[in-house]
Amino acid sequence: MHVGGHGNANPNTTWLKSRGMWVSYILGMLILHLIILSVPLLSVAMAWTVTNLIHNLSHLIFLHSLKGAPWIPQDQGDCRSLTHWEQIDDGAQFTKTRKFLFAAPIVLFLLTCFYTKNDTSHFVVNLVSLVIVIVPKLPQLHEVRIFGINKY
Amino acid sequence: MGSYWLPTSINGFLGDIKDASLLHFVLEGFLVAWLIWFIFRKSYKSHHRHSLSKEEEDKIISEWTPEPLVKSTPQDHPALKPHVVTGKAGHYIDVDGKPCLNLATHNYLSFVDKPQVEECAIQSIRKYGVGSCGPRGFYGTVDVHLELEEKLAKFMGMEEACVYAYGFSTVASAIPAYAKRNDIIFVDEQVNFAIQKGLDASRSRICYFKHNDVEDLEKLMLEFEAEAGKNPRKAKVTRRFLVIEGIYMNTGKICPLPALLELAHRFKCRTILDENVSFGTLGETGRGVTEFYNINRADVDLIVGSMEWALGSIGGFCVGSSFIVEHQRLSGLGYCFSASLPPLLTSAAMASLEEIEKNPELITVLHKQCQLVHDALANLSEFGYSMSGDIQSPVKHLYLTNPPQDAEKHRSLLHSISQYCIKNGVAIIPASYLDHMEARPRTPSLRITVNVDLTPAEVEAASKVLQQASSEFSLS
Repeated sequence: MHVGGHGNANPNTTWLKSRGMWVSYILGMLILHLIILSVPLLSVAMAWTVTNLIHNLSHLIFLHSLKGAPWIPQDQGDCRSLTHWEQIDDGAQFTKTRKFLFAAPIVLFLLTCFYTKNDTSHFVVNLVSLVIVIVPKLPQLHEVRIFGINKY
Repeated sequence: MGSYWLPTSINGFLGDIKDASLLHFVLEGFLVAWLIWFIFRKSYKSHHRHSLSKEEEDKIISEWTPEPLVKSTPQDHPALKPHVVTGKAGHYIDVDGKPCLNLATHNYLSFVDKPQVEECAIQSIRKYGVGSCGPRGFYGTVDVHLELEEKLAKFMGMEEACVYAYGFSTVASAIPAYAKRNDIIFVDEQVNFAIQKGLDASRSRICYFKHNDVEDLEKLMLEFEAEAGKNPRKAKVTRRFLVIEGIYMNTGKICPLPALLELAHRFKCRTILDENVSFGTLGETGRGVTEFYNINRADVDLIVGSMEWALGSIGGFCVGSSFIVEHQRLSGLGYCFSASLPPLLTSAAMASLEEIEKNPELITVLHKQCQLVHDALANLSEFGYSMSGDIQSPVKHLYLTNPPQDAEKHRSLLHSISQYCIKNGVAIIPASYLDHMEARPRTPSLRITVNVDLTPAEVEAASKVLQQASSEFSLS
């Protein structure tokens, strides 16, 4: 796919911005959770932890691991070295999109803690997954590759 | 289970929280506070990634000198006395109403004024009108475009071809369609201006090797290899390209293709071969430098050709495997965002191509003429000229053996020689460069082009005129 209409060389910078995306995101999470909840073998606590883990895993993969764009952007490969999170709003920090995506795992974590009744083993697992997706979102770590992970 | 989403009683709610340890409280409280802090921060834009370093900044500032909007023009500036060319720029050209032997324009096979070609173009105007009225992807594709692409691909024996509307933009779009930032391009230092613009647009790292010097290229590639060895992970995502011309427009020399391809293969480079001069002129049947060296054309990743010189039309084309060429239909900027080649010029190019296919002897004749001109120009060495260009090349450059030291004087001397030649019935011009934009300084020269219709007498006459010019300007 070739992109670049409307003067936007790389749509990855903007498509998460729309409120419709946010609503879809929340609805998607809810449906995912309901599906997991309806699996008979899983307890309520387990269902919440699994939801949280899946959510954080997808953040890790799609926002913080995969680099570049799925289409052919017109930026002569500028985004080839950037993760999707780094491309959002052309790298501007503390934008609304970033705040939403920053809040999502934290709110989900708090909910999970509540519904797992603060069970220690659930808590540890969820906290670790939270840290993994929160750390790369920090403005201080913008375009920083700790220990050269995922550098090229 | 009571209610899943909400605790059934306040006790149940408190019970959960009461059970939580202090650590949980602190951590969750901290998270909430952090989130609130994050949400209320003002947004800011981080520094641009490709900002200039201090030295680069200083260099640009120190290099900048303000220029007047309009410079005063010296009274003897050539632009004040332009020549007027009337009629077709065929084998002979009318300069200021006087017919001159044309050794200036690129019309190697004389297709510019061939009646069959003209007839095809006229027929095409009757059928399609004059313009195509849109880019290829946006209502600008006419059946003749597809036909020409098919013919070109078949002629070159490759899977697919794509036609551009302008020869210059062909290679200038093809290079940045593949080479991106962080990639590396090895390129001959004498490549033409269109290639240089393509290199600029690619944003890649450019490594110039000495003209036609395979050893220098190998040295550069080895250096890169050593550098890559230090950081294999980076090297793994750095694509390497080799960009060369079949016959160099700027020197008239043929590239040592077999050796270059061997190196490209050894160092895993993708090769882009610009055949703007060599297409239709080199090889037994005009299929370019690959035929000249008898090389399997599939070994070259992408061949870029021009239809403006040998075919006497306008536009350019790329041929290669479908996988490679197809990519340009969506990322070749000159392909996507220019109106397509007017159908009449497409038909004209097709007619010329058919002519080449039908009469491969034409190429043999051209080779004879190249030889003829080559010998004639080589004999001028005692008159203060030195020639550059291979025997089979239809483009030759004449340099002055003892040029004036001052570059401006050098250029104006060549201009005077050219004026003298035109006055004496031979249209010869200096090669013009945008000197401040060229990657490497180019030596000023007279560029002679060979035409298939030249006769020995004409070549002799042209050589005479150059000899007279030599004594007129005391060159030797």
